[in-house]
Amino acid sequence: MAVAASTDSPVKQQLVDKLPKRFKGIKFGIQSNQDIANQAVLEVSDRLLYDIENNRAPYRHGPLDSRLDCGRVLLEEPERRQFLKELRRPFLDNLRRTQICKKINEQCRVLKLAHDKFSFYNKSTSAKKVPPESKVKFDNSFTEARRENPELDKHLRKAMEDLNPLRVLNLFKMISPTDCELLGLDPTEGRPEMFIWQFLPAPPVCIRPSVAQDNASNEDDITTKLADIVWVSGMIRSALQKGSPVQTIMEQWEYLQTQIAMYVNSDVPGLQQPGFGKATRGFCQRLKGKQGRFRGNLSGKRVDFSGRTVISPDPNLGIDQVAIPLLVAKNLTYPERVQRHNIEKLRQCVKNGPDVWPGAQQVIKKDEGGYKISLKFGNRDFVARDLTPGDVVERHLEDDDVVLFNRQPSLHKLSIMSHLVKVRPWRTFRLNECVCGPYNADFDGDEMNLHVPQTEEARAEAINLMGIKHNLATPKNGEPIIAATQDFITAAFLLSSKDRFFDRKSFTYMCMHMMDGKTHLDMPPPAIIAPQALWTGKQLFSMLMRPNKESPVKVNLDAKCRAYKARPGQFPDMDPNDGWLVVRNSEVLCGRMDKSTVGSGKKDSIFYVILRDFGPDEAVIAMNRLAKLCARQLTNRGFSIGVGDVFPTEKLKEEKENLVSVAYKQSDDLIETFKQGKLDKAPGCNMEQTLENSISGILSKVRQQAGSYCIDTLSRNNAPLIMAQSGSKGSDINVAQMVALVGQQIIGGSRIPDGFQDRSLPHFHKNARQPPSKGFVKNSFYSGLFPTEFIFHAMSGREGLVDTAVKTAETGYMSRRLMKSLEDLSTQYDDTVRTSGGGIVQFQFGADKLDPVDMEGSAKPVHFQRTWTHAESLTWDNNEASMTPDEIRSFCNSVLENERRRFVRRGLLYNELLDYEDASDYGIDEHESARKFLTTIESHVEDLASKLERVRKLAGFEGDVMVRPTAQDHADRTAKVSVSTLGLFIKLCLEKYKKAHVEPGHAVGAVGAHSIGEPGTQMTLKTFHFAGVAGMSITQGVPRIKEIINASKAISTPVVKCPLLNDQQIEAARVVKGRIEKTFVSDVLRFVEDEWRTTEGNVVLQIDSDALSDMHLGIGSYDIAEAICKQRKLKIQREDLSIDGERIIVRVRDVSDTAAKRATARSKSAAEESGDMLLRANFLRRALPSVPISGYPEATRAIIQTSEQGTHQVLVEGYGLRACMTTEGVIGTKARTNSVMECRDVLGIEAARTTIADEIGEVMGDMGIDPRHMQLLADVMTYKGEVLGITRFGLSKMRDSVLQLASFEKTPDHLFEAAAGMKTDQIEGVSECIIMGQTMTVGTGAFQVVRRLGIQPRDLKQRPTAFEDAWAAESMIKRKTRRKV
Amino acid sequence: MSDFGDDDVGGGADETMYEEEDGGEFYDPEVLDEDGEQQQNGDNDDNVVVSGDPSAAANALKGGDKILKDKKIPESDRTTTPYMTKYERARILGTRALQISMNAPVLVDLEGETDPLQIAIKEMREKKIPLIVRRYLPDGYYEDWTCEELLQ
Repeated sequence: MAVAASTDSPVKQQLVDKLPKRFKGIKFGIQSNQDIANQAVLEVSDRLLYDIENNRAPYRHGPLDSRLDCGRVLLEEPERRQFLKELRRPFLDNLRRTQICKKINEQCRVLKLAHDKFSFYNKSTSAKKVPPESKVKFDNSFTEARRENPELDKHLRKAMEDLNPLRVLNLFKMISPTDCELLGLDPTEGRPEMFIWQFLPAPPVCIRPSVAQDNASNEDDITTKLADIVWVSGMIRSALQKGSPVQTIMEQWEYLQTQIAMYVNSDVPGLQQPGFGKATRGFCQRLKGKQGRFRGNLSGKRVDFSGRTVISPDPNLGIDQVAIPLLVAKNLTYPERVQRHNIEKLRQCVKNGPDVWPGAQQVIKKDEGGYKISLKFGNRDFVARDLTPGDVVERHLEDDDVVLFNRQPSLHKLSIMSHLVKVRPWRTFRLNECVCGPYNADFDGDEMNLHVPQTEEARAEAINLMGIKHNLATPKNGEPIIAATQDFITAAFLLSSKDRFFDRKSFTYMCMHMMDGKTHLDMPPPAIIAPQALWTGKQLFSMLMRPNKESPVKVNLDAKCRAYKARPGQFPDMDPNDGWLVVRNSEVLCGRMDKSTVGSGKKDSIFYVILRDFGPDEAVIAMNRLAKLCARQLTNRGFSIGVGDVFPTEKLKEEKENLVSVAYKQSDDLIETFKQGKLDKAPGCNMEQTLENSISGILSKVRQQAGSYCIDTLSRNNAPLIMAQSGSKGSDINVAQMVALVGQQIIGGSRIPDGFQDRSLPHFHKNARQPPSKGFVKNSFYSGLFPTEFIFHAMSGREGLVDTAVKTAETGYMSRRLMKSLEDLSTQYDDTVRTSGGGIVQFQFGADKLDPVDMEGSAKPVHFQRTWTHAESLTWDNNEASMTPDEIRSFCNSVLENERRRFVRRGLLYNELLDYEDASDYGIDEHESARKFLTTIESHVEDLASKLERVRKLAGFEGDVMVRPTAQDHADRTAKVSVSTLGLFIKLCLEKYKKAHVEPGHAVGAVGAHSIGEPGTQMTLKTFHFAGVAGMSITQGVPRIKEIINASKAISTPVVKCPLLNDQQIEAARVVKGRIEKTFVSDVLRFVEDEWRTTEGNVVLQIDSDALSDMHLGIGSYDIAEAICKQRKLKIQREDLSIDGERIIVRVRDVSDTAAKRATARSKSAAEESGDMLLRANFLRRALPSVPISGYPEATRAIIQTSEQGTHQVLVEGYGLRACMTTEGVIGTKARTNSVMECRDVLGIEAARTTIADEIGEVMGDMGIDPRHMQLLADVMTYKGEVLGITRFGLSKMRDSVLQLASFEKTPDHLFEAAAGMKTDQIEGVSECIIMGQTMTVGTGAFQVVRRLGIQPRDLKQRPTAFEDAWAAESMIKRKTRRKV
Repeated sequence: MSDFGDDDVGGGADETMYEEEDGGEFYDPEVLDEDGEQQQNGDNDDNVVVSGDPSAAANALKGGDKILKDKKIPESDRTTTPYMTKYERARILGTRALQISMNAPVLVDLEGETDPLQIAIKEMREKKIPLIVRRYLPDGYYEDWTCEELLQ
């Protein structure tokens, strides 16, 4: 590994510039023998490690010679860090040889090195081959030996040339420099023979430290191996000197080679003797693997200033705070530089010392090379007195310091965020429960990590980019992820109930809960004035959002609560269950708080609206208030669960018994009919499946009915029910399982399978299919499970556990791969998405430059409806007149015209002006998405205008003339649009759109990888879902994602969807299905028989022409005959076939006639056998019916899918998109396959890209991932022009950075290859920069920060040199004297 | 656990296994120390030491250097967003906070504030930060934007 190291120019002493040095690239290569020799310090020639006599000092010239001191070498002479040992014989490393050979063979065929030189000649079957001259020579070399030992003859064919390292070396030396270039080597950098070690470099001792124990020492594997090598080569040397037999020397040589191979890579295949002690660790083993050098020490490093302990909750903390134990705060320090503002504070810290908080650990003085003063010892008062600006004090953590907080597994960027410190007593890290979501933390013993950024810059970036405030919404889709959880939701749900009223005392008391007495309160008028002034719980939430008139927060929101069900003909806000939340100017008008309005994961939540409309600061404040209010209120009120909560009423028990017995009866009947074989089969299923399906249906209905009955009958104050309804924890099913019945247990998607012979447990009769024997649990958790039920429940539970265990490993690896291949994508200042090398992946991120985190609607930047109500509420003024519809349109047009002017359309070639609406390909440009957004605003305003028009007509306007006097009032009340409202609305929309643009430098790739990888862990491993048709399953879940991102050639369930031209009639669908599906002769056969005459025998196929025409295949007897001819296996000649109407006559001929022509010894016996005509006829009679006559070879079967609207389409299992597209009756342009690779082959790379994005979108549909992330992934997989999987093979085609590939997988291989190819790593990507410790070019590294130096023009002028005056004076004098002369 | 049949790790399959204790997160983007302050017209590569023949390297640099100076896009032709990105904001605040913490003269009224970061935020609010953002386009051209110009 040659490094671009520093070389000081020796010419002139220069001013020392303290700029830090930066690596620009790493060049990989090989060292010539000369280099190795030059770098050497000494020759290691002794095997012994220590000199026993000399107090166990390392032996001179032994592998542990102290002159191999690294400390000295690294500081002074980097070149000296290695030493060498000459080998007696050149040596060729095994691994390298294979690589060289492969290169030589494949790449250019300049020369060919192989042991079996003449394999080509030997394998050739040509009759007139002439042995080449060299072959003759080679063969002749054996004549002598053959004469001596005749047995050698039969082995002669296997004779090979022994290519020992020495020969190879000599051959390599003969390669001309031009050939070197063909081999991919730069002749100035390296030559092939340099791949053969003639000198073996040995690393310094610090690389392979010995661990000294009291009397013995434990040596590193490398040291022992080196000693072995030295020993063997010593043996060879002495053997050569003594003249030992060749046999011995060869053996020793072989051994030496093995040892050196082990030195580099200890698990070279075939070298490691199994069971021979423990495996040694070669250099390769040091590098590879998770704990290896690359992943363990270079990509991730151990850090100081970090802590880890158990976490616990504290709702009294702000959500952006973390409570740090005093003990931790005293150990973690921040180096604060002394300046005039903080000198007094730091003096106090220094005086307090390391043991009193807030104190300091040590002081680093600015002068005299920055020496450190530890405050543990010495006089701290002196140090405090001498503190001067510029010194650095490593002080304890204090309140409002910035720290990073992290919980593993770190699956997305929100797993590590920055908090502000709050130093508190005791032993745990504490955080607000709202922040559990992004970390996925709970308090059952979870531990979390904490890191303290050590520079001002690091703190600023941490708090501005990773701060809680700036990460309230997940970049996956912009939903809030930090929001109220569990108990907070319960409390909010209870508080906002319609029947909660508070008197003045308790209302103000509760307001103080959330405000801490610091905020001014403007009490709202009480909801009930007489007989007592009472305030509602909902008013409490109004106060929470906007405690006083000065507060700018005016929330406007219409949202449905969790339990809301739309009823036709009913206004949503009149819901009897109070299930519609309406907030106007921060006043809650109706609706209840629950998971969907204060919790995470919904864009209709109160905190999300505050975040969007009033910024993160206000949202954080509101959330803090909610946390405090809910925690304190719930503490006062009390909320618990007891056995009384799960006690079923008599009526419920009866109802349940009834339901269960009916279900049992039904399934018994079903089983009975099944046993009689009378069960009607469901389409696509056999009888057994039909039975299973219907029984499962019946049983699941039992639980559902019992559950809903139970929910209906439970009290409104039932604690589990409150939790289920508010969404804080558990679901209705959980409640029903406790109270009513547990229900059917499922393993692997079906009822409990038989674990014993023909039965699930020995408690039941054999072949029992009754519900109890197949896992139906009719008891509830309250009533207690029977033993059999219990084990079924445990079995089902175990399946879930196994699933999670398998899933974590699988998805973790998937995330890692995604991250590695997407890590260095970022948006640039020209809005393109590029890799670090500059390769363009997308011209605009997501084709519209919008950042998913700023999406207000689903993947849309603005939620128009809400924005309109917001604008309306903010600007409402009864005195302002409404506009007429035409005024609305013209106003909107005039405002948008300003915007449109910025998106003038110009021709691509000549820059001429084009029409704004031009939709042709010629006029397409980068503003399409912006134009489209303007159109959506316009259409929304148009909706408003047309609504007003309609209302005016109803109210009694005719044109602009009022017919009825109340018309204006009427129209104003329902559809008023004022100028200020409309103006504000359009302004808000445009502002939001502008804000939603993705910022240059944003690491879109990493965020995309997180957004796909993190939801992956939440997916169940194997879910099969049925695509509308029974019997047709499509792989879903993690396995499907794996298939897609691996770019697998053969996927497990390929399906081609064929929309039909005529999708109304089932007959048309049947025709298409018939044409696609394989049809065999047997399907259209009436009978087959053989006829015998004296001269000949025939096999006759009678075709059922009615059946054939019914199938609408468009083929006749002739086509069938043709298909039979094409079957090679049948060996039927064309002239043997004759067609007679519906009869196809196949003449039976002795196959041996034809076969005899190819008279080879092997086929003779076969010909005799088949010579029997009768056998042949029998064979044909059996084989002919199974000849396919129509359909596509790769399509296994076709299914007609009927949608709810009664339209049909054909689904084809298998491949064959090309054939399906061209089938008559199919809309070819709309046919799709779910196989990415087939799509690529048939339709090209763009279609493949769309397929990838769509397929991932389909699998992860319910995860709510923004489509832009999936498009980015699809683009990464296809931007090179072929579909590359997110695997190590695909990755090595996407990037050619050695370091990145080495830090991913197959570390040594990539390094060897880099050395062989003499590659240079430019250190551009993220992985490389981390390994080299440099700034990467994403985020804050995407630009530079500079400063005006304030250099004036006069500063740049040439200054007079020191002797200029003297020179001028001198020349003056000279001139004067000359003149005088 | 490898998908390709062969295991990357010789010994066990732990290469691809997922482990909870895997703290392999890259969280601490290192910031180049003060590189902003020294550079006005020079290239951003002047802290790179080129190995090999020094004169050849110098010659090669000369050619590139000239072009680099010309790569500044004049103020009137700038095309990138007039808004300050969050990354620019974070880095400028960080750089300025560092300057202030090292006793640089403060350009706003302190009003009792002592935390360098808070002072930097205050300066940014009042558009007093004397730093310039140099935005590089992928082709190597760059635009200079002062903090005053950038909208927030």
